[in-house]
Amino acid sequence: MATTNATIALTSDVTDNALSVSNTTELNTAGTTTGVNTMTSVTKVLSSTNQVDLITTGSVSTTHAYVYINNPSTDETVYFNITIGNAGAGSPTDTEEIGRLYAGDWMWFPWDVDDDICITPSTSDDVTVEYMVFS
Amino acid sequence: MATTATLTLASADIAGDPVSVTKTATLTKAGSTNDLDQSTGLNRVHLRSTTNKVLLAANAEGDNLAAKVYIINKATDASLYVTVTINAQTIGKLYAGDFMFIPWSQTDTDADIEVAATNWTASTGDIPVEYALFHEDTDFLTNA
Repeated sequence: MATTNATIALTSDVTDNALSVSNTTELNTAGTTTGVNTMTSVTKVLSSTNQVDLITTGSVSTTHAYVYINNPSTDETVYFNITIGNAGAGSPTDTEEIGRLYAGDWMWFPWDVDDDICITPSTSDDVTVEYMVFS
Repeated sequence: MATTATLTLASADIAGDPVSVTKTATLTKAGSTNDLDQSTGLNRVHLRSTTNKVLLAANAEGDNLAAKVYIINKATDASLYVTVTINAQTIGKLYAGDFMFIPWSQTDTDADIEVAATNWTASTGDIPVEYALFHEDTDFLTNA
Protein backbone atom coordinates (compact mmCIF):
# COMPACT_ATOMS: atom_id res chain seq x y z
CA MET A 1 0.00 0.00 0.00
CA ALA A 2 1.09 3.53 -0.65
CA THR A 3 2.20 6.02 1.94
CA THR A 4 0.71 9.46 1.50
CA ASN A 5 1.08 12.27 3.99
CA ALA A 6 -0.91 15.45 4.39
CA THR A 7 0.59 18.29 6.40
CA ILE A 8 -1.07 21.50 7.47
CA ALA A 9 0.72 24.57 8.78
CA LEU A 10 -1.34 27.43 10.18
CA THR A 11 0.21 30.68 11.27
CA SER A 12 -1.70 33.69 12.51
CA ASP A 13 -0.93 36.90 14.31
CA VAL A 14 -4.60 37.88 14.65
CA THR A 15 -4.41 37.26 18.38
CA ASP A 16 -1.99 38.94 20.76
CA ASN A 17 -0.05 35.71 21.09
CA ALA A 18 0.64 34.34 17.65
CA LEU A 19 -0.82 31.00 16.65
CA SER A 20 1.36 28.39 14.98
CA VAL A 21 -0.03 24.93 14.31
CA SER A 22 1.55 22.13 12.32
CA ASN A 23 0.23 18.61 11.96
CA THR A 24 0.90 15.71 9.63
CA THR A 25 -1.39 12.76 9.05
CA GLU A 26 -0.95 9.63 7.00
CA LEU A 27 -3.88 9.03 4.69
CA ASN A 28 -5.28 5.63 5.58
CA THR A 29 -8.30 3.60 4.70
CA ALA A 30 -11.15 3.87 7.20
CA GLY A 31 -10.13 2.92 10.71
CA THR A 32 -6.88 1.25 9.75
CA THR A 33 -3.18 1.98 9.41
CA THR A 34 -3.23 0.84 5.80
CA GLY A 35 -2.50 3.61 3.36
CA VAL A 36 -4.91 4.70 0.67
CA ASN A 37 -3.90 3.50 -2.78
CA THR A 38 -5.96 5.51 -5.25
CA MET A 39 -5.51 9.11 -6.33
CA THR A 40 -7.43 11.24 -8.79
CA SER A 41 -6.12 14.64 -9.88
CA VAL A 42 -8.24 16.87 -12.08
CA THR A 43 -8.04 20.38 -13.49
CA LYS A 44 -11.32 21.60 -14.93
CA VAL A 45 -12.48 24.80 -16.60
CA LEU A 46 -16.02 25.93 -15.79
CA SER A 47 -17.92 28.43 -17.95
CA SER A 48 -21.28 28.78 -16.28
CA THR A 49 -22.82 29.85 -12.99
CA ASN A 50 -24.87 26.67 -12.90
CA GLN A 51 -24.43 24.31 -10.00
CA VAL A 52 -22.79 21.11 -11.23
CA ASP A 53 -21.41 17.96 -9.75
CA LEU A 54 -17.66 18.30 -9.28
CA ILE A 55 -16.94 14.95 -7.63
CA THR A 56 -19.55 12.22 -7.81
CA THR A 57 -19.94 9.34 -5.40
CA GLY A 58 -19.68 7.00 -8.35
CA SER A 59 -16.11 8.12 -8.97
CA VAL A 60 -14.90 6.61 -5.69
CA SER A 61 -15.20 2.96 -4.73
CA THR A 62 -14.77 3.37 -0.97
CA THR A 63 -16.78 5.02 1.82
CA HIS A 64 -13.90 7.13 3.10
CA ALA A 65 -11.88 9.54 1.01
CA TYR A 66 -9.88 12.72 1.34
CA VAL A 67 -10.62 15.70 -0.88
CA TYR A 68 -8.51 18.71 -1.86
CA ILE A 69 -10.11 21.54 -3.84
CA ASN A 70 -8.24 24.63 -4.97
CA ASN A 71 -9.35 27.90 -6.53
CA PRO A 72 -6.24 29.06 -8.42
CA SER A 73 -7.80 32.33 -9.61
CA THR A 74 -5.92 35.53 -8.91
CA ASP A 75 -9.06 37.70 -9.12
CA GLU A 76 -10.18 38.07 -5.50
CA THR A 77 -13.82 38.46 -6.54
CA VAL A 78 -13.99 35.03 -8.17
CA TYR A 79 -15.31 32.33 -5.88
CA PHE A 80 -16.91 28.91 -5.90
CA ASN A 81 -19.80 27.87 -3.70
CA ILE A 82 -18.91 24.36 -2.60
CA THR A 83 -21.88 22.25 -1.55
CA ILE A 84 -22.50 18.64 -0.69
CA GLY A 85 -25.64 16.72 -1.47
CA ASN A 86 -27.58 15.62 -4.49
CA ALA A 87 -27.59 18.42 -7.00
CA GLY A 88 -29.73 16.58 -9.51
CA ALA A 89 -31.27 18.20 -12.52
CA GLY A 90 -33.13 21.30 -11.45
CA SER A 91 -32.89 20.66 -7.74
CA PRO A 92 -29.89 22.61 -6.53
CA THR A 93 -31.57 23.29 -3.20
CA ASP A 94 -31.08 19.67 -2.17
CA THR A 95 -27.54 20.46 -1.13
CA GLU A 96 -25.87 21.93 1.94
CA GLU A 97 -23.39 24.70 1.35
CA ILE A 98 -20.05 24.12 3.02
CA GLY A 99 -18.55 27.45 2.10
CA ARG A 100 -17.18 29.81 -0.48
CA LEU A 101 -13.76 29.16 -1.87
CA TYR A 102 -12.32 32.52 -2.88
CA ALA A 103 -9.35 33.10 -5.19
CA GLY A 104 -6.23 31.49 -3.79
CA ASP A 105 -8.17 29.49 -1.22
CA TRP A 106 -8.00 25.73 -0.83
CA MET A 107 -9.94 23.25 1.26
CA TRP A 108 -9.15 19.80 2.59
CA PHE A 109 -11.61 17.45 4.22
CA PRO A 110 -12.57 13.83 4.71
CA TRP A 111 -15.51 12.73 2.59
CA ASP A 112 -17.84 9.88 3.45
CA VAL A 113 -18.85 9.45 -0.22
CA ASP A 114 -22.57 9.46 0.59
CA ASP A 115 -23.40 12.48 -1.56
CA ASP A 116 -21.83 14.33 -4.44
CA ILE A 117 -19.62 17.36 -4.02
CA CYS A 118 -21.01 20.20 -6.11
CA ILE A 119 -19.67 23.53 -7.27
CA THR A 120 -21.23 26.81 -8.37
CA PRO A 121 -18.89 29.42 -9.88
CA SER A 122 -19.57 33.09 -9.23
CA THR A 123 -19.04 34.00 -12.86
CA SER A 124 -19.80 32.60 -16.29
CA ASP A 125 -16.34 33.59 -17.46
CA ASP A 126 -13.92 30.69 -17.78
CA VAL A 127 -12.63 29.76 -14.34
CA THR A 128 -10.35 26.91 -13.37
CA VAL A 129 -10.85 24.58 -10.42
CA GLU A 130 -8.39 21.93 -9.33
CA TYR A 131 -9.15 18.95 -7.15
CA MET A 132 -7.62 15.73 -5.91
CA VAL A 133 -9.28 12.73 -4.29
CA PHE A 134 -7.42 10.10 -2.27
CA SER A 135 -9.19 6.87 -1.39
CA MET B 1 -2.08 41.06 10.61
CA ALA B 2 -2.20 37.91 8.55
CA THR B 3 -3.17 34.31 8.73
CA THR B 4 -1.73 31.75 6.34
CA ALA B 5 -2.65 28.13 5.79
CA THR B 6 -0.32 25.78 3.96
CA LEU B 7 -1.23 22.29 2.84
CA THR B 8 1.38 19.81 1.66
CA LEU B 9 0.44 16.50 0.07
CA ALA B 10 3.29 14.10 -0.53
CA SER B 11 3.62 10.50 -1.62
CA ALA B 12 6.51 8.60 -3.09
CA ASP B 13 4.49 5.64 -4.25
CA ILE B 14 0.80 6.35 -4.80
CA ALA B 15 1.55 6.96 -8.47
CA GLY B 16 4.28 6.03 -10.89
CA ASP B 17 6.07 9.25 -10.09
CA PRO B 18 6.32 10.98 -6.73
CA VAL B 19 3.48 13.33 -5.85
CA SER B 20 4.18 16.60 -4.12
CA VAL B 21 1.69 19.43 -3.86
CA THR B 22 2.12 22.48 -1.67
CA LYS B 23 -0.40 25.29 -1.54
CA THR B 24 -0.44 28.34 0.72
CA ALA B 25 -3.48 30.55 1.18
CA THR B 26 -3.47 33.92 2.88
CA LEU B 27 -6.86 34.18 4.53
CA THR B 28 -8.72 37.28 3.40
CA LYS B 29 -12.12 38.85 3.80
CA ALA B 30 -14.72 37.93 1.21
CA GLY B 31 -13.93 39.23 -2.24
CA SER B 32 -11.06 41.41 -1.10
CA THR B 33 -7.36 41.34 -0.36
CA ASN B 34 -7.84 42.49 3.24
CA ASP B 35 -6.73 39.99 5.85
CA LEU B 36 -9.14 38.17 8.10
CA ASP B 37 -8.84 39.85 11.48
CA GLN B 38 -10.74 37.73 13.99
CA SER B 39 -10.17 34.30 15.44
CA THR B 40 -11.38 32.04 18.20
CA GLY B 41 -7.81 30.91 18.73
CA LEU B 42 -7.09 27.22 19.14
CA ASN B 43 -9.61 25.29 21.24
CA ARG B 44 -9.61 21.75 22.61
CA VAL B 45 -12.57 19.62 23.66
CA HIS B 46 -12.87 15.99 24.67
CA LEU B 47 -15.75 14.16 23.02
CA ARG B 48 -17.59 11.31 24.66
CA SER B 49 -20.95 11.56 22.96
CA THR B 50 -22.06 9.41 20.07
CA THR B 51 -24.69 11.98 19.18
CA ASN B 52 -24.02 15.29 17.46
CA LYS B 53 -22.73 18.19 19.54
CA VAL B 54 -22.44 21.74 18.26
CA LEU B 55 -18.81 22.67 17.81
CA LEU B 56 -19.45 26.01 16.09
CA ALA B 57 -22.91 27.56 16.13
CA ALA B 58 -24.17 29.33 13.03
CA ASN B 59 -25.69 32.79 13.23
CA ALA B 60 -27.20 33.07 9.75
CA GLU B 61 -24.69 35.68 8.70
CA GLY B 62 -25.01 34.60 5.10
CA ASP B 63 -22.53 33.18 2.68
CA ASN B 64 -20.87 36.43 1.65
CA LEU B 65 -18.60 36.65 4.68
CA ALA B 66 -15.35 34.74 4.77
CA ALA B 67 -14.64 32.19 7.47
CA LYS B 68 -12.28 29.24 7.68
CA VAL B 69 -12.52 26.32 10.06
CA TYR B 70 -9.74 23.97 11.17
CA ILE B 71 -10.61 20.75 13.01
CA ILE B 72 -8.32 17.88 13.99
CA ASN B 73 -8.92 14.55 15.71
CA LYS B 74 -6.08 14.17 18.20
CA ALA B 75 -6.86 10.56 19.12
CA THR B 76 -4.06 8.04 18.65
CA ASP B 77 -6.21 4.93 18.20
CA ALA B 78 -6.59 4.57 14.41
CA SER B 79 -10.12 3.23 14.72
CA LEU B 80 -11.55 6.20 16.63
CA TYR B 81 -13.27 8.74 14.46
CA VAL B 82 -15.28 11.91 14.69
CA THR B 83 -18.18 12.48 12.31
CA VAL B 84 -18.44 16.07 11.12
CA THR B 85 -21.76 17.43 9.89
CA ILE B 86 -23.22 20.74 8.75
CA ASN B 87 -26.99 21.07 9.11
CA ALA B 88 -27.31 17.29 9.47
CA GLN B 89 -25.40 16.77 6.22
CA THR B 90 -22.45 14.51 6.92
CA ILE B 91 -19.23 15.84 5.48
CA GLY B 92 -16.93 13.03 6.51
CA LYS B 93 -15.15 11.17 9.27
CA LEU B 94 -11.96 12.41 10.85
CA TYR B 95 -9.97 9.39 11.94
CA ALA B 96 -7.16 9.62 14.46
CA GLY B 97 -4.71 12.30 13.41
CA ASP B 98 -6.83 13.49 10.50
CA PHE B 99 -7.61 17.17 10.04
CA MET B 100 -9.83 19.30 7.87
CA PHE B 101 -9.66 22.91 6.75
CA ILE B 102 -12.74 24.32 5.05
CA PRO B 103 -14.49 27.59 4.29
CA TRP B 104 -17.72 27.93 6.25
CA SER B 105 -20.87 29.69 5.06
CA GLN B 106 -23.53 30.40 7.61
CA THR B 107 -26.38 30.20 5.17
CA ASP B 108 -28.91 29.91 7.99
CA THR B 109 -29.09 29.21 11.70
CA ASP B 110 -29.12 25.49 10.96
CA ALA B 111 -25.65 25.59 9.45
CA ASP B 112 -23.96 24.65 12.72
CA ILE B 113 -20.82 22.59 12.51
CA GLU B 114 -21.45 19.55 14.66
CA VAL B 115 -19.26 16.67 15.71
CA ALA B 116 -19.98 13.25 17.17
CA ALA B 117 -17.65 10.67 18.62
CA THR B 118 -19.62 8.09 16.71
CA ASN B 119 -17.83 4.94 17.86
CA TRP B 120 -16.93 6.15 21.33
CA THR B 121 -17.56 3.80 24.23
CA ALA B 122 -16.67 4.00 27.89
CA SER B 123 -13.70 1.74 27.19
CA THR B 124 -12.27 3.77 24.29
CA GLY B 125 -11.66 6.90 26.31
CA ASP B 126 -12.51 10.41 25.23
CA ILE B 127 -11.66 11.65 21.75
CA PRO B 128 -9.76 14.92 21.92
CA VAL B 129 -10.59 17.39 19.19
CA GLU B 130 -8.91 20.71 18.50
CA TYR B 131 -10.41 23.45 16.36
CA ALA B 132 -10.04 27.07 15.35
CA LEU B 133 -12.18 29.56 13.46
CA PHE B 134 -10.84 32.51 11.50
CA HIS B 135 -13.49 34.98 10.35
CA GLU B 136 -14.36 38.58 9.56
CA ASP B 137 -17.76 39.60 10.93
CA THR B 138 -18.36 40.48 14.57
CA ASP B 139 -21.69 38.65 14.58
CA PHE B 140 -20.27 35.50 13.04
CA LEU B 141 -20.30 33.71 16.35
CA THR B 142 -23.50 33.37 18.31
CA ASN B 143 -21.46 33.59 21.48
CA ALA B 144 -19.44 36.64 20.38
